[in-house]
Amino acid sequence: MIKIENIIAGYGDGPNILHGINLQASKGEIVTILGPNGCGKSTLLKCIAGFVKPRGGAVVLNDTDVTPVPANEKVRKHRMGYVPQSDNIFPSLTVAENILMGARFLPQATRAVALKRQFVAYPSLADKATRKASALSGGERQLLSLARALVAEPSVLLLDEPSAGLSPAMVHEVFVAIEEIRNSTGMCIVMVEQNAFEALSVADRAYILALGQVALEGCAADLIADPAMRHLYLGGDPEATTSSA
Amino acid sequence: MLQFFVDVILRTVDLALIAVALSCVYSLIRFPNIALVQYATAGALIALGLQTLGLPLYLAIVLSCVITGLMAVVLSVLIFEKLLDTSPPLAMVGSLAVSMIFTAVFLVTVGPRPKRFDLEIMAPVRWAGVSITPMQLVSVGLTMGAILLFALLLFRTGLGRSMRATSTNRVLAEATGIPTRKVINGVIVLSGILAALGGISISLKGEMGAQLGFDLLLPIFAAAILGGLGNALGAALGAFTIALAETFVTNVNFGWVVSQDFYFLPASFATIVSFGLLVLILLFRPHGLLVSEVKRV
Ligand SMILES: Nc1ncnc2c1ncn2[C@@H]1O[C@H](COP(=O)(O)OP(=O)(O)OP(=O)(O)O)[C@@H](O)[C@H]1O
Ligand SMILES: [Mg+2]
Repeated sequence: MIKIENIIAGYGDGPNILHGINLQASKGEIVTILGPNGCGKSTLLKCIAGFVKPRGGAVVLNDTDVTPVPANEKVRKHRMGYVPQSDNIFPSLTVAENILMGARFLPQATRAVALKRQFVAYPSLADKATRKASALSGGERQLLSLARALVAEPSVLLLDEPSAGLSPAMVHEVFVAIEEIRNSTGMCIVMVEQNAFEALSVADRAYILALGQVALEGCAADLIADPAMRHLYLGGDPEATTSSA
Repeated sequence: MLQFFVDVILRTVDLALIAVALSCVYSLIRFPNIALVQYATAGALIALGLQTLGLPLYLAIVLSCVITGLMAVVLSVLIFEKLLDTSPPLAMVGSLAVSMIFTAVFLVTVGPRPKRFDLEIMAPVRWAGVSITPMQLVSVGLTMGAILLFALLLFRTGLGRSMRATSTNRVLAEATGIPTRKVINGVIVLSGILAALGGISISLKGEMGAQLGFDLLLPIFAAAILGGLGNALGAALGAFTIALAETFVTNVNFGWVVSQDFYFLPASFATIVSFGLLVLILLFRPHGLLVSEVKRV
């Protein structure tokens, strides 16, 4: 469904940030991208979404090369959804208006139905439909940004750290929501994450980036069980840390 | 008193449209384009040129607005966009340089002598001690109409919502499917049209010369900053405030200061007021009079 071929990218006339990344995700699959801060995860997502023009390589969507297609066109014509890492809601709009922003290019008649569907899926947002988005909590904002991207029913969804800054309970809730979306729609989901263990437990496959390259890739279940990987890239496993120290 | 109010309105008309254009472009690309004041002069001179060629005035005005709008977007794509990519302060200096080129071109093509539209001379309307010429009325009507239409566009249309979304958060706007590049270029065309209308509306009630726009640079910046740079309609309010201050200073009898019966500051003092106000604004209200929510869609 989505295929990233040897992507090389950087900003302005700066150095390359990504040095030839290959990645694949198919329909109904959740793929997570992990790695330390600054390794280029968001940059990769921006290349896929069309916000950063790659210096080399290709982004292929359903066998069509969409590398030069601008982001807005990917959203409208190729049914791609993108949720940025930060500033992912319009704070001065209400919750309902925010969701409707994601439905702007749908036929007028279907917008209300689409909005209602999101409210059914996220009752906590429905309760606050007429509230300003700036008055939402961090977790509610993440749900709102998700609902905004989902309202147009994308076929590929790109999420940049959907669980960033949330309490453990909210992190869990967001991942449950993501898994639920995949199960009900068969959407292809590519998400960048820092909460590696939770992300790996919902993902089918994972790519671990380091310094702009894929350091490890594989089935999420295998990676989560791999002690070397836990030690090297997740830093969250006390046993592996002590045994190598 | 009523005459004072009329004077304030007439001065507001000089500043409002160009200040709105400046603020509107700023809201989208964070670029205070100095050359906008020259688009005002260009708009007036092009309209005059077209009228001289035999076109009826209203047609000359419409065509001039279209030409100036297109010129604005061409200059933006060829020059300012590239400078902005490199560095925003560089772009502002670049727009100053472009403005100087405009002045030179105006001087070479139309000369240093002020020009006027070919208009029927009509007697001023007198009412309740106020004197106002028909062309002044046309100029006020044109400006208010343009601002009203602009406000409707901004707050009542899909394009307006796209403009506001793009100015709030360009990445998110793209992610909701808004072609932000087109929206920005559209707004730049619009800014050229507004500036041209501004220059034309000034010239309708008086003269136009090579310095028409450039002389207004400071009061226009003061108005736009006072309105909260990036708040397009705030700029119109800013223009009114600046006009009020300028008119007040040049209308007050300072006779008591110099122990004479009457002493009025010369009209050129208005410029000093703008300078002074600009400094005060930058010091005390750098985000404008209407500081509240800066981000709005
Ligand atoms: N707009 C930009 N202009 C220039 N350099 C940038 C820009 N955005 C990111 N970079 C640089 O690119 C590199 C990768 O950044 P990126 O945002 O992709 O990292 P990341 O893996 O998403 O990190 P994090 O986990 O902190 O979100 C960093 O060194 C960063 O400084
Ligand atoms: Mg990131």
